[in-house]
Amino acid sequence: MSTEPNGEPSQGAPQPKEQSSKSIQPPKGEKTGTAETPNALSGEKKLSGAELKKKAKEEKAAKRALAKASKEVAKGEAAVSSSPGQLGPSAGEVKGNKKGKQDATATAGSGAGGRPTPNRATPSMVAEQKATIPECFSHLPMAKRLPMTQADKSVHPAVLALGQQMATFTIDESINRLRATLLAFKRVIASYSTPAGHTLARHFTPHVLGPQIDYLTSCRPMCFSMGNAIRWLKLQISKIDMDSKEEDAKRDLCRAIDNFITERITAADEVITESGAKHIENGDVVLVYGRSSLVERTLLCAYSFGTNFSVFVIDDPYERAGQLLAKTLAAEGIKVTYCGDFGGLINHMRHATKVLFAADAMFSNGAMYARAGACDVALAANELEKEVITLCETINITERVATDSLTYNEIDPERCSAEAFRLLFDTTPVKYLNALITELGCVASKSAPILLRKLEEFN
Amino acid sequence: MAPPKGGYAPNLDKFLDSLKGPVDTSVEFLIALLKRRQIKGSEPCAVATARILLQVVAKEKWTDVDQLIERIRVVGTRLVAAQPRELVIGNVVKRVLRLIRDEAMEDRNEAGGDSSPASPASMLPTPIVESIPDVKPFRPPTLNSLGSFARTQSMFSLLADPDVAPPLWSNGTTPAAASGTSTPLSRTALSQATNISALRSEVIDGIEEIMDEIKQVDDQVQTYADIIIHPGNYILVYQPSRTVQKFLTRCKRKFNVLLVVDPSTATSTEDLYASFRKSLVAGGSTVVKVMNTGLMAYMPRVNKVILEARAITATGEVVVDSGAASIARAARQQGRTVIVVGGVYKLSPDSQANQTIEWGDPSKYVNFSDGQMVGHVKVKNAVSESVPEADTYLTNLGANSKEYLHVIIEDHYKEEDIGLDLYGTIRK
Repeated sequence: MSTEPNGEPSQGAPQPKEQSSKSIQPPKGEKTGTAETPNALSGEKKLSGAELKKKAKEEKAAKRALAKASKEVAKGEAAVSSSPGQLGPSAGEVKGNKKGKQDATATAGSGAGGRPTPNRATPSMVAEQKATIPECFSHLPMAKRLPMTQADKSVHPAVLALGQQMATFTIDESINRLRATLLAFKRVIASYSTPAGHTLARHFTPHVLGPQIDYLTSCRPMCFSMGNAIRWLKLQISKIDMDSKEEDAKRDLCRAIDNFITERITAADEVITESGAKHIENGDVVLVYGRSSLVERTLLCAYSFGTNFSVFVIDDPYERAGQLLAKTLAAEGIKVTYCGDFGGLINHMRHATKVLFAADAMFSNGAMYARAGACDVALAANELEKEVITLCETINITERVATDSLTYNEIDPERCSAEAFRLLFDTTPVKYLNALITELGCVASKSAPILLRKLEEFN
Repeated sequence: MAPPKGGYAPNLDKFLDSLKGPVDTSVEFLIALLKRRQIKGSEPCAVATARILLQVVAKEKWTDVDQLIERIRVVGTRLVAAQPRELVIGNVVKRVLRLIRDEAMEDRNEAGGDSSPASPASMLPTPIVESIPDVKPFRPPTLNSLGSFARTQSMFSLLADPDVAPPLWSNGTTPAAASGTSTPLSRTALSQATNISALRSEVIDGIEEIMDEIKQVDDQVQTYADIIIHPGNYILVYQPSRTVQKFLTRCKRKFNVLLVVDPSTATSTEDLYASFRKSLVAGGSTVVKVMNTGLMAYMPRVNKVILEARAITATGEVVVDSGAASIARAARQQGRTVIVVGGVYKLSPDSQANQTIEWGDPSKYVNFSDGQMVGHVKVKNAVSESVPEADTYLTNLGANSKEYLHVIIEDHYKEEDIGLDLYGTIRK
């Protein structure tokens, strides 16, 4: 249903009737909608104030009807009505604004006639999909994999593509998603031009950045680092001098993003890799879980230092990404042992001297948010008192607190059906962790909030 | 991997068919099957072991008890060696040994003694049994399901310390004389023959009872379902066997099952637990198949973890399917109850479970066609592992605590057999 409001303005322009009939099948209708956007925009610039107001009213009424209908369809399921609902209004806002350039009569026709049918179609489809989540986990988000055809029209093509990559987990790992997002936003900024009567600082964030973020979120829930970076970006935008030229402002913003990527991601990774590698000593047996590019680079770096160590790869049998890591390391000449699941974990742990994790996020109580299963590995390590080292860029540290794994988590969309269910992450309490290596140095895991504080001062 | 359904690989059924032939052939066949893991899992192993021992007792020629015991020991040792991590095989062998000893002891009492003075161990409990002639009609092994009787018996045998008795006898005071039984050496050949045939049929009956006991475990364990499972509970089960499935479906309450499956079978289209799920859902419960290996994330939700034991040792260690140990660890760490389900026949007097991680089947996750992995990476895969302890041990005799396990063991095994280290002899 989130897609409904967006589709509408563009629908309006050339063939309203056909549009409304098409929109019964949301994807198709939507597609034509987006395709026609340029047309609509070009032919719309003559619209009186009165017409505009009238249009806005209709819009509101329609939205209300929509919300009501959707609530009825998906009664008990809070998740269903809430998350797309959140998406709806913001998309609506955008449209409300741009609507000014639209042919009033055409829109009115399609708005009134075309509405009811798609309303019924879209929410029920969403509900069906959601109904399979067991009730006790229904509070957790899942990548909705919004098709490109249902995206808001103001979503930039670069972001569109990125959303699909994230939804299919082609771009995975918190830090990679962050980097890709920032790069895409840079392109959004570059192609942005401030409409007359607005300033970049006031207009960009709600009307351009907002829809991009909503789209990305609906493709796959944001990771903590993305949240942190977006907050930073919004701050930068709000700081722009009202009087500065648009070109200058855009250039400054892009430069700031570049610096951010360099400092917080690229350089941070290098520092962490090196620092992590120095923690591996001769004769160590390093146990790792699954595959993380940061851990992989750290191990390769340690090997390049000439350290003589071996690696024990424990894998998640549902992902088997560890095999890739095992192959990469073995190809370099590192001695690797591979175990496909948690069978005999404690026995493997007995042979290990250190455990190396890469965190997807660190909570401010020092807990680690990482690939599901990491907590079990950390627990086994703790039982045998092995050193557990976490690698994490500071951008991944969040001020939020989680004491169990079900507060913040994500459901695997690949394995969520009537039969199956899978969590993607888990939370490892700080008591099972020892050291935290960030680009600011190596600290005890429980000092994560102090790092956060330091960063705030720094900013 | 299990042999393909209806394939050519021999299995338990084929073995049971083969029992009609000569005993030696069957023994060799069973050993081959066990070695190749074509019979695997505690229940099939237990059934196969009991059946082959039954054949040994019934078909082979033996003239006295010691000969039989020796023969059972030899066969038993070879069976255990064929699948050393499967403690159940040893358990059944030892229970059959105990059965023979008990029967022999009774016979001796009834007939006034055995002809063979060669076995001090088998002579030893004579005085005690004599003092309770009333118990005679109830052969101890028949009482496995009636714990109290069996326990009475064992309390008596407890008093008889096998380590003390032999020196006594070697000092010149024969146990027969000490106990006042009639002189053993004066029996005629005829009475001995009748004794043997009577003993044979008694032992056969006893072994059949052991087999019945194995068969009835599911039903007996089920009766505790309503005590363990409360309405609305979240029960986590790992690769539930038939026993655990029946246990859960027996409970008529509405509860939630988190079903953790074997990752290698999870992706296959065929749902191994379809009927299990169906019957639970029909009763209003929910079944969620969890496709995670690390279960720490779920533990805050879970009330109880139910695991199927492959074997339980006297110290409370439980041999489980690989992967279950990390679940049990997670559960105990979060203070969740871990309940282990398994028949008494899985209760082993051995205490070597800590060494019983069984490695094997490395192709479970890594394909042999994957040259890079096969060539350069050492691949390990566990088949079974052990859990140090559980909160409750649910057997067909009821729910027991760890501390009580040794009492049950004493009820079911003779001390001289407990000492018999079948596994140890293999390692040498």
